[in-house]
Amino acid sequence: MERRNFLKVVAATATVIAVSPSFIRGNLYASDGTLYRAYEKTQLIGADGKPILASKLETEVNYIFNYPYASTPCLLVNLPKPTATDVELTSESGEKYIWKSGVGKNRTIVAYVAICTHQMTHPTPSDSFIMYVPEKTKTIAYETSGIIVCSSHMSAFDVHAGAKVLGGAATQPLAAVVLEHAADDTLWAVGILGSDKFQDYFKSFKPELKQFYNGPAEAKKLVSISAKTVKLTEFSKELIQY
Amino acid sequence: MKKLLTTLVVSGLLATSINAAQTDHRSVLMKDMRTMLEAMEQIQRGGLYSSTDDMKAGVKKLQGTLKSLESDDVKWILPKDQKYAYQFAQKTASMLHLYSSDMVTSIDAGRMDDALEDYSQLLKQCTSCHIRIRNW
Repeated sequence: MERRNFLKVVAATATVIAVSPSFIRGNLYASDGTLYRAYEKTQLIGADGKPILASKLETEVNYIFNYPYASTPCLLVNLPKPTATDVELTSESGEKYIWKSGVGKNRTIVAYVAICTHQMTHPTPSDSFIMYVPEKTKTIAYETSGIIVCSSHMSAFDVHAGAKVLGGAATQPLAAVVLEHAADDTLWAVGILGSDKFQDYFKSFKPELKQFYNGPAEAKKLVSISAKTVKLTEFSKELIQY
Repeated sequence: MKKLLTTLVVSGLLATSINAAQTDHRSVLMKDMRTMLEAMEQIQRGGLYSSTDDMKAGVKKLQGTLKSLESDDVKWILPKDQKYAYQFAQKTASMLHLYSSDMVTSIDAGRMDDALEDYSQLLKQCTSCHIRIRNW
């Protein structure tokens, strides 16, 4: 291949990836600090099977969907104010990566993997100790609300800034779900940014996965095409927040 | 005057009985915690000496202690500043139940690796609760 053609191919590939990170497959530890893993592009749909529309999401309500695996819960929240942009985060092992921002008209919609990075507390159909705490609800985990709190060991995460750790026992941010907001107002999950704990989660919660997802094989199935998105109050029988 | 005296006596008796109930609940918890420790040691010994009987006996002993943590009585036995966190203690107890039952299933199926993994998860639950409730 001639040098000019080679450069054209490189430039075209870079443009495609920049426009839609979901084209990348596998781990990306780029020199610019990105730590990203793409999964199947999946549409968020409601319990009725209709697409979730960004403009119809209630503000400060915890929604939940499982992604990228059938048993890995993620929180979706429409925040009352725009998120920060280009936040530099650091994983437990010291890798730096950039969380771009929330999506939607006002950059207020965010999604994070709801598995606490401390001891992997997560929502189950029985209960949830981890959730977004609205601005007017008090928490003992941190001086202000409008954050994600894991009430197991009181870790607090900055929901506006890539789930950066604000306090408590956690030592790295929650992994973020990379969302795409389409022109028709639909929402899509395309990948996971940051250091996830999926394999530890599958290993540690084997008996629980048997109970709720008919065993580890079902629990580890990758989500495909669409992910059912419901309010956390509909997913977990009991919400526990301190 | 008689009324006042009666009120004082009744209040005194009530306070004493509440205090006694709390002390009673706490002594039950302390006893349960000691039994839990013995149960965990027995499971570990069983694992190290390849005695599935010992492991199962440890599980039985452990599950026998969970009643006070699983019920609402747990509110009485937590330290005052942690009373609000009783649901966390209840959750821990239910996880102990889940992992210990799975351990028996794994032993019966001859999956010793899984049984020992259950043991490490049990230990993790214990320390997780102690970190929280005892403010490690």
